[in-house]
Amino acid sequence: MKENQRRIFLKAITSIPILGGAVMAASALIRYFKPTTVGGVKGLVAPPDEAGSSVQIVAALSELTQPWDFKEFIYIRKSVEYSSRKIQGAKIPGFVVRLPDEFTDPKDPKSRFVVVQRICPHLGCTFNFVKSPEELSGGYNYKPPMPTHPYFACPCHLSVYDPTRKTEVNLQGPLPGKVVSGPAPRPPRTMSFDIKDGQILITGTEGGGVG
Amino acid sequence: MVKAIPYLIRGLAGAPGTFLKWFQERWTKMELFDEGRTQQARTNPWYTLGGMWYWVWMLVILSGVVLMVYYVPVTDQAYHSIERIQHNWRWGPLPIGSLVRGLHKYGADAFIILATLRVYRMWFTGEYKQGNEFTFIIALLLLIIGMYSGLTGYLLIWNQRALWATKVMATFPTYLDQNPGWLPGGDFINWTNQGKTTAQILLGGTSIGPATVTRFYAFHFMLSFIPMIFFELRVYRRGFKRMNISHWAKLAVFGVILAIAIMIPAAQGSPANPEVTPNPILSDWYFLAMYHFLKLQDPYLATVLTVAIPFLVLGSMFLDRRPEREWGKRQIFNWIGIGGLIYFIVFSFLILNGIADLHRDAPLWYFSMGGFLLAGYLQDWAYVMRRDQKRWWETFHIFFVAFILVSMSANTLYHYFGDIREWNVLGQAEMPKVLARLQQANPLATPDMAFEWLEKNRPALNLWFTSKKGPGKPPGMELWLVHVVAWLGIIASGIVIGLGRWGRRKEAEEQAALAKAKPRAAGA
Ligand code: HEM
Ligand code: FES
Repeated sequence: MKENQRRIFLKAITSIPILGGAVMAASALIRYFKPTTVGGVKGLVAPPDEAGSSVQIVAALSELTQPWDFKEFIYIRKSVEYSSRKIQGAKIPGFVVRLPDEFTDPKDPKSRFVVVQRICPHLGCTFNFVKSPEELSGGYNYKPPMPTHPYFACPCHLSVYDPTRKTEVNLQGPLPGKVVSGPAPRPPRTMSFDIKDGQILITGTEGGGVG
Repeated sequence: MVKAIPYLIRGLAGAPGTFLKWFQERWTKMELFDEGRTQQARTNPWYTLGGMWYWVWMLVILSGVVLMVYYVPVTDQAYHSIERIQHNWRWGPLPIGSLVRGLHKYGADAFIILATLRVYRMWFTGEYKQGNEFTFIIALLLLIIGMYSGLTGYLLIWNQRALWATKVMATFPTYLDQNPGWLPGGDFINWTNQGKTTAQILLGGTSIGPATVTRFYAFHFMLSFIPMIFFELRVYRRGFKRMNISHWAKLAVFGVILAIAIMIPAAQGSPANPEVTPNPILSDWYFLAMYHFLKLQDPYLATVLTVAIPFLVLGSMFLDRRPEREWGKRQIFNWIGIGGLIYFIVFSFLILNGIADLHRDAPLWYFSMGGFLLAGYLQDWAYVMRRDQKRWWETFHIFFVAFILVSMSANTLYHYFGDIREWNVLGQAEMPKVLARLQQANPLATPDMAFEWLEKNRPALNLWFTSKKGPGKPPGMELWLVHVVAWLGIIASGIVIGLGRWGRRKEAEEQAALAKAKPRAAGA
């Protein structure tokens, strides 16, 4: 090995502790930007923060008596915030839709309703409940089969979801709102709900995505 | 191949030193704002781009600092503080606020345009050759920094467009956690949740809110100031002139931006409303084409491709090993550059006018992109034949053509036959027939059962998912397998053949050096 090559090599060796220091600084930086991160190796793979939930009344059954009746509502979710406040109420728009009886299980009153977050699982736009097939084919690039029924449809990249059909989603079982057109990778995120005293209560929301 | 191994081992042992030397050489040659091109800038306006871009950057920073004094970075006040800056801040008849805002906004646009032109100039003239790679990397990085500054600055006005553009951008990284399981290490990456963590760091929490505005404000400032500190250190150590343009040119640039700010006061839109998505959602002009690209793609693929584009540009720069820099002698690179510009314009036009047929367009785009590459390749091939006085088969780069053809046809097949949603549309037309057939066997058959049958019997031609083999399923082609095997095969054979050639060349070089050294040794 030539003399100056050796010097360069030694220089390269001394850079190892410097690199180690840089990695430690980077880890501190991550914790600075994301204060909920725990220390050590575990912190690097910690699950992302999930928003908290609370019970809120969003609709009365008397508003949803006919097939395809629907209601838009806003659910306030306790979002984690990296600030001295630590928590923030984020507005999550939602839909509750009354399905016609042929798509429901007569023994299960909850199966008459589809309750979803209106946040498109593709890239987060608020999607619509579209009743007319002309609007679907004209505005959303989807020609529904006849006889038709309403669909959820997103204006951003034209994803269309069929509320009457379900798709298997990892770890969560079948969820309503099968994607029938457009780039969305999965059905809309759901909300867990209960029916009590003629009212629909939201008890929690599926995490992930950006509120 | 075998001949290459000893050279490879020796090369690897010396790699850290070699790399350090390589790095130092390029570091010395690196230019920030075309400071080494003062002579050329006198006669060729393309070489003033660096100086003009730096000047515009200064204007943006100055106007930004002025705006900072009156801007309120809080969600429920941001929009109104901008309104007040725009309309109430005047000196007599002079709408100062509106002018400063216009200067900042149009200055930012000019920043992006100039930085883009500069990257294009370097690309088309092969300026990154002969050890100038870092100059190109810095130029590209600055363009990206400018785009991120635009994105973070855009949210600050807290209007509808800004909110939704930010939402799309923040949802993006979450797809980095959805690598398909067959990708080596894919599950591991998913397990680390890097994508969601990135999104949450950007947003300062799990949703867009006050913390997001605070963070974007900080990032917006940092993105300009941190590079600026490094640049000033370099200028201080080397003592070169920052801008190779005359004072008149500076005044002219300032005048043009100011004139635009007077004629078209910076727009403000309507206040952000998380409950209503505007249709169509748009963003700053430089992201529009990417938005259209998103429409046509599986979101995972789109995310990976978007993240990969700068790396692809850098990668092809390092692949461009030939010394030629003239226009007609590197046609592939010209076609890639021109193609990029054309797609940018066409896609922006399409999204502005809401034109897209998701079921028809994607393969067409793939084919046209492949067409650009092929056209460039064929021209380049013709040039190499002429240069080296060789016949066509002696210069035919089978790997490149195979690469393009495989990916073009695979993508087309995927979109026409494998798209799960496309199949759903077809399947729904088929449904009544299937239902009738099922009902012959079982009078109680429901539409759901018919759908299930269709799903099970869909040809398994899909890039990501292939359902398990079921009874009655027609033999499908596992497309992703074909794709992966073909590409790995092409790359592997390229490496084997390339290494073999490299070994032979090294040997020849060594022997030539030996032959040259011998007479001298004999003489001594
Ligand atoms: C690369 C440099 C920069 C770019 C590309 C950029 C871009 C932008 C853009 C596009 C906006 C939105 C303007 C609008 O639509 O009205 C904006 C707003 C803003 N920027 Fe920058 N900016 C840059 C540097 C800076 C710097 C260095 C500062 C502070 C020192 C700054 C402070 C601000 C402020 C306070 C606003 C909000 C006021 C407003 O929107 O009119 N910017 N920026
Ligand atoms: S955000 Fe709804 S389709 Fe893209």
